[in-house]
Formats: sequence, structure tokens, C-alpha cells
Amino acid sequence: MKIKKPNAKRAMQHFEKLCQLVSQRKSPFEGMTDEEVIEKLRKTREELWEKKLASRT
Amino acid sequence: MKSFVKPAKNSGKKNLLLVLDTNIYVFAFTPPIKPSCRSVISLFGISHSKYQLRIPRTIVEEVRRNLVQNEFREFFVFISELTTIDEDFLVPFELGVKYEIRGLKMVDAFIAAYTEWVGADVLVTENRHFLKHDRDLPFKILTAEKCLKIIS
Repeated sequence: MKIKKPNAKRAMQHFEKLCQLVSQRKSPFEGMTDEEVIEKLRKTREELWEKKLASRT
Repeated sequence: MKSFVKPAKNSGKKNLLLVLDTNIYVFAFTPPIKPSCRSVISLFGISHSKYQLRIPRTIVEEVRRNLVQNEFREFFVFISELTTIDEDFLVPFELGVKYEIRGLKMVDAFIAAYTEWVGADVLVTENRHFLKHDRDLPFKILTAEKCLKIIS
């Protein structure tokens, strides 16, 4: 498989911009513990997967 | 790198291939921020010649669910500058089944199968469902904190 040559410097500039943008709004996980965030992400994973499987049948 | 991370395969190897689970990306930039998750991502900026990243489409989609449009654009470009997004359908179905038999849920099994399929050295995750399955695998499953300790 062809793997793109990375441009780490540019990548990190976009990562920093992303961090900055996210910090300017309310977190969707406000008030949650780490464990609760992980569980929420697992639920999202399951929902997306179910949707994906349903679209194939 | 310390010897207990796949010693035979990694000795003298230039790049360490990592797959980061969705929670690592999310904890890196969304409160409650975990500094260890942010540091794992920073590895690719500090020592990009040492570390290589792979990501499947499904993780990109999961991250997208937690971002608004302009944020996701930044995430997408960030990822695209580091690696190529792999389509989920490329991963052999049988590999996923192998991990389901080991007790992982179908979606987690896919991530494990993907990690094996790309030949990654480490799957970095904070998901305890993964972490308890870290035995006799062709790759290591580590939290961000453990990953940083081992590779630094």
C-alpha cells in the first residue's frame, strides 16, 4: 500500500489550530469523567458500525 | 526503546508504527484533556522520522462526530499531512472474526484487526476493554502514558 510522505511540521500546525478552535467552545464531554468519555465514544463507535452494517444489507 | 515491546521485531528498526484509537485523539484536544494523549500526538511532530501513524476511516468518522465543521477540517488536514486514511473494507473480514472470538466486541475487533493488518507495533488506547486483551497479540496495546514511558 502506498503511504504518503509525512509533513510533520505542517501537520502539527493544523493540530495546534484544532486545539485552539476546540478550546473556544463548550466541550461535549463537560462534567464527565475519563471513563464516561470513553464509554460515550464506544457508544458512538457502535452506532456508526451498526449504521455501516445496515447500509450493506 | 525498552526491550519488552516486541523485542525481536523492533531491534534496530527505524520507525515505530502506531495506531491511535479515537479516544487518544479526542483526549488530546477536547476537555477533559489528557496531557499524555496530546504528548503521543506531539511525537509525530517532534520525532516524525521515528514514528509512523496509520488510521482507518472508521476512526476518522468517530473523531468527526465530536467536532464541528471547521475543526474537522483542521483534523483532516492534520491527519492527511501525516499519513493516508485506510478504507475499512480493505481489512480482511477473517481478521476481525479472530478478535471477536477472543472476546472483543465487533467494532473493537475491527480496530484490533486493522492494527494487525497494517503491521503496527502498538495500538494506543485508553479503552480498558482493549487493555485487558493485551496477551499473545502481534502488537502491543498501551495507554498513552505507558506508550510514552516505553518509547522515551
